Amino acid sequence: MTNILFYVLAIVALLGAAGVVLAKSPMGSVVSLLGTFFALAVIYLLAGFQFLAGAQILVYAGAILVLFLFVIMLLNLGAMGSKFELSFAPLQSTRARIAGCIALALALVGLVAAQRASFAAVPERDASAPAIDSMEGLALELFGRYSLPFQATSLLLLVTMVGVIALAKRQRSGDEPAKGEERP
Amino acid sequence: MDKSLLSDVPQVAIWIARVVVIFGGLVTTAALMSLAERKVSAWMQYRYGPNRVGPFGLLQPLADGLKFLFKEELIPAGANKLLFRLAPAMAAIPSMMTIAVIPIGTLVIDGDTIPLSIAPGVDLGIMYMLALGGLAVYGAILGGWASNSKYSLMGGLRASAQMISYELSLILSILVAVVLSGSLDLTKIVEAQSHGFWNVFTPFGFVAFVLFTIASFAETNRHPFDFAECEPELVGGFHTEYSAMRFALFFLGEYCAMTVMACLNVTLFLGGPSLPFLENTPWWLGIPVFLLKAAFFLFLFIWVRWTLPRFRFDQLMRLGWKVALPIALANLLVAGAWVAFTTKGG
Repeated sequence: MTNILFYVLAIVALLGAAGVVLAKSPMGSVVSLLGTFFALAVIYLLAGFQFLAGAQILVYAGAILVLFLFVIMLLNLGAMGSKFELSFAPLQSTRARIAGCIALALALVGLVAAQRASFAAVPERDASAPAIDSMEGLALELFGRYSLPFQATSLLLLVTMVGVIALAKRQRSGDEPAKGEERP
Repeated sequence: MDKSLLSDVPQVAIWIARVVVIFGGLVTTAALMSLAERKVSAWMQYRYGPNRVGPFGLLQPLADGLKFLFKEELIPAGANKLLFRLAPAMAAIPSMMTIAVIPIGTLVIDGDTIPLSIAPGVDLGIMYMLALGGLAVYGAILGGWASNSKYSLMGGLRASAQMISYELSLILSILVAVVLSGSLDLTKIVEAQSHGFWNVFTPFGFVAFVLFTIASFAETNRHPFDFAECEPELVGGFHTEYSAMRFALFFLGEYCAMTVMACLNVTLFLGGPSLPFLENTPWWLGIPVFLLKAAFFLFLFIWVRWTLPRFRFDQLMRLGWKVALPIALANLLVAGAWVAFTTKGG
């Protein structure tokens, strides 16, 4: 049952990802991306990672995509058409092919890594310790063992934010910086 | 329910009964809210309000619903049909689903305790609420975009900007209640307050309560923050082009979202089904107490709408980013520090 569900969701996620690239209108891309995010969230749920699934929906679907929509609606994109159409033109350019090859190579690296990790001996967890997929277990790992990488990540996000604001300010001085630099 | 029968009743039947009662209650409340809105506004403006259908106009929501069902549905030319049809459901369904984790109280029948909640004790109850609650805005955004109308587009645009701006303050004020009660599980948050000491009685709890109430007005697109609709500027906002039942679905979603927000406010800050300063609230008092508290917030939504004028959009943004957000952040920091230093062994 779980396996069947996983394959269905994986297909949905992949179709959504293809839709992001192939949709003619940016709005179609965003809607496809929304589908992908949902399928991924349910896959996380199937694997028992409730918090990750919640965060996926809350942060990506609930905040970042809303921001994308906000920006897309501000752009002048011309007529939208009454149906979503696919366009295979992006696949024809050389740049797209190079990008596709890089993405494929990265995906393969990830696949190999996952394969090796799943065959490597998993150390026995202390039975009294809270499970990693519970809120408590996640917090203990995040703020205990991985507290330095966690803080480094937040620093990285801060630097990114400052950098983006600085760049936006320099290019269009006198203009308000684009809304939504805030990380949700 | 018969007392002696409860042990023979299969668990599934109790689950189904809980779902039917709570879900039915939510939708009925939403329908009655449409009547209450008109009645209260009439009362405030010295009018009668709807009083023709049924006693005191009580059957008005039913009549409205039937009318919506029989109206012709129009889809504007050039509208994106798929999204246009999908958007009302996307607005209504998430708002309805969020009620599942709210603990309304408990029923004790012949010694058996039945929690009156569809999904009691979900480990990540608040996460679930926030994740789904954040999705309700897609209905407004995508519906507004798919309508192929400038007013609808502006409405959708405003809905997305407003939602991003106030979601942060909303989450930060919810986190104060989480920090004070020590759990993301709404049932445990209620338990932590069940000895008569509500979260709102602490200073940071009170600040968070006020911020949450303000943000909940913005999140549900209610006056004085209803810029996504804003009749004088945008005709009807994101639902300008909608008619018949799809239009009604947007309203149903809005009223359901208001009801859930009211329930969440009661649960997080006002002790859920408990009375203040009492060690233990008897279970039969819990449910009416909860409903009364929630009803007060529903009344507040209407009261504010017919009392205050609408903000300007830049005022809304300034309030969200420059006032509410810093206060919410500082408040969370203070609450966290207080809990950290007063908890033993912390």
